[in-house]
Amino acid sequence: MKLHLPPRVSPKQFQSAMTAFAGVVGKSWVMDTDADRDAYADTYAPGSTEEWPASAAVAPASVDEVRAVVRLANEHKVPLWPVARGKNLGYGTAAPRMEGTVVMDLGRMNKILELDHKLAYCVVEPGVGFFDLHDQIQREKAPLWLSVPGNAWGSVLGNALEHGIGYTSYGLHARNLCGVEAVLPDGDLLRTGMGAMNNNPAFHLFPMSYGPTWDLAFSQSNLGIVTKAGVWLQPAPETSLEIVWDIPNADDIGWVIDTITPLKISGLIDQNVFIPSWLGKMVLKGQRQDFWDKPSAIPEWRVEELLKQYKLGYWQVALRLYGEEPVVKARAEVVKAAMKRNLAAAPQEHWWRQGEPIGQYEITMGVPSAVPLQMSDWVGGRGAHMGFSPVVPATGKHVLDQMHRSRKIIADFDVDFYASFTIGGRFANNVNMLMYDRDNATEVAKMRKLFDALIVETAKAGYAEYRTHLGWMDPVMETFDFNNHALRRFDEKVKSALDPNGVIAPGKQGVWPANYANMRGSAYKGGQ
Amino acid sequence: MKRVILVAGALALSAAAFAQAPSGPPPMPPYMMRAAAPAGDRLAPGRDGQSLFEAQCGYCHLAGGMGTNLLTKQQMMAGNPPQKGLLTNREDLTGDYIKTVVRMGKGAMPQQTKVDITDAELDAVAKYLGKAG
Repeated sequence: MKLHLPPRVSPKQFQSAMTAFAGVVGKSWVMDTDADRDAYADTYAPGSTEEWPASAAVAPASVDEVRAVVRLANEHKVPLWPVARGKNLGYGTAAPRMEGTVVMDLGRMNKILELDHKLAYCVVEPGVGFFDLHDQIQREKAPLWLSVPGNAWGSVLGNALEHGIGYTSYGLHARNLCGVEAVLPDGDLLRTGMGAMNNNPAFHLFPMSYGPTWDLAFSQSNLGIVTKAGVWLQPAPETSLEIVWDIPNADDIGWVIDTITPLKISGLIDQNVFIPSWLGKMVLKGQRQDFWDKPSAIPEWRVEELLKQYKLGYWQVALRLYGEEPVVKARAEVVKAAMKRNLAAAPQEHWWRQGEPIGQYEITMGVPSAVPLQMSDWVGGRGAHMGFSPVVPATGKHVLDQMHRSRKIIADFDVDFYASFTIGGRFANNVNMLMYDRDNATEVAKMRKLFDALIVETAKAGYAEYRTHLGWMDPVMETFDFNNHALRRFDEKVKSALDPNGVIAPGKQGVWPANYANMRGSAYKGGQ
Repeated sequence: MKRVILVAGALALSAAAFAQAPSGPPPMPPYMMRAAAPAGDRLAPGRDGQSLFEAQCGYCHLAGGMGTNLLTKQQMMAGNPPQKGLLTNREDLTGDYIKTVVRMGKGAMPQQTKVDITDAELDAVAKYLGKAG
């Protein structure tokens, strides 16, 4: 990719910034060739990768190097886009929001600093991936489990900071963060919570600060660069039981939600319950052309045939309970009785007890896997995906409203409907997966228009996304319109005060520092 | 074609949050228990290609990994035995081809940065896998 300079930065100024960065991290860790820029492009970009082009990448190896680079970024007025491992697939990967921003790749900071077997937490740097932490837990035989996202190739901290979700009792990953160390936009270094005191052993145990609590102010944020954080982990249970129901019809999701949510809120179920639609299973069985060889959406009659042929329900609930066996058994009886009120068929039950092997695809037991990424292969070619991810109240009424709306819009665009709802408590995260071939320009253009329509129509109904791709960060922020966008005004007041040069992640989540305010919406092509 | 779909389906059975096979969980494959990356300067040549491959590429390219699953399917469709889905069983890969795929990406595989795998590490991996020269 050719060089795109940051706004108002001359080639000479840019070059002197690169030389200055190299003085800190070493020449090999400043990556500014055309090939390097390609490496940091959005792998799954819906359209040209040059819409979100990095000018270079810099990879510090320590907190001191991060601080030094941030100070130099201020001096040279060159903005940085920090990424942990840069695997935010479907949401922009490692690419920056604003043209010419230098990616700060924290992948070399990959130390597991603590793994506390008794109090069940770890302290990790941003470059630590789920696989790395899983391997370390196995090596130490620590009685701990992870909570992992669908694609576990990425960073533990990066995923939590991006509000990623998993499918265990610890599935709300941002909530597992406790005690953050962050480099601020002026290069200062902050520790939150009890870590604000030197050598306080409760740094990663007590989740609040004395006074305002800032931990989550660094999530989906451009207020600082997180260089380490505590992450709470699940103690390995004595037993676990998976109970699996195939749910026959699309509209059954209403009673399923109304059955499970009260049990989740009461604490009887402590897992984040993941309910994917049938296509989630089909994408692992082959390619789309094996089941439907036309470009149009798979019609209802063919869906019916496929469900029958592969003995699938429209949805699947694979609910998992954790704990001592008598407790799990008692909880299971309550859950099964509740489900039986609407579904006579007995569920499948799979027990696991300490000492038994754990299957490689057991995402609900915290086993990391990249295998769900196989869905990229579903459409063929250079497959890619984007997730449209609104949050809705976890009631049957809201979930059915949301599903009917999305399903209709997606059908109107003649695209396959692939949705999941994850019950995280009083809310459900709805992810509508849109899969496409990056090299098919017509398909990409259609997906962008579809994405626009989903945002607009969903916002009209009163719901918003919890996370989005670079190209839609501004439009989604625009949907948060209470008191004429008071949230954005506040975010930007704080941002501009802390970061007058706008050196950290300008435009992240639609929050722009004053000096780049004119860049708002600049990469958004309105579905073109 | 049907056989290919069945095998690919079996490889991916019970992925993500779906029910496991009735015969019980498959054993943890090598990619889930990668050895630590070999010590040493990541920019210096001469580190062990096999260990680097297992540590840096093993997430997807050891047995049971996503890349292996997809390549197994591709190899079978091309009339080759499923074992050829493992890069370590391939005799037809050249070092230069491996370097290109790693840096440019291919199909569902995203491109890899120099932080993911340095040029020196990629040289060692390409030498290890590139049995065709």
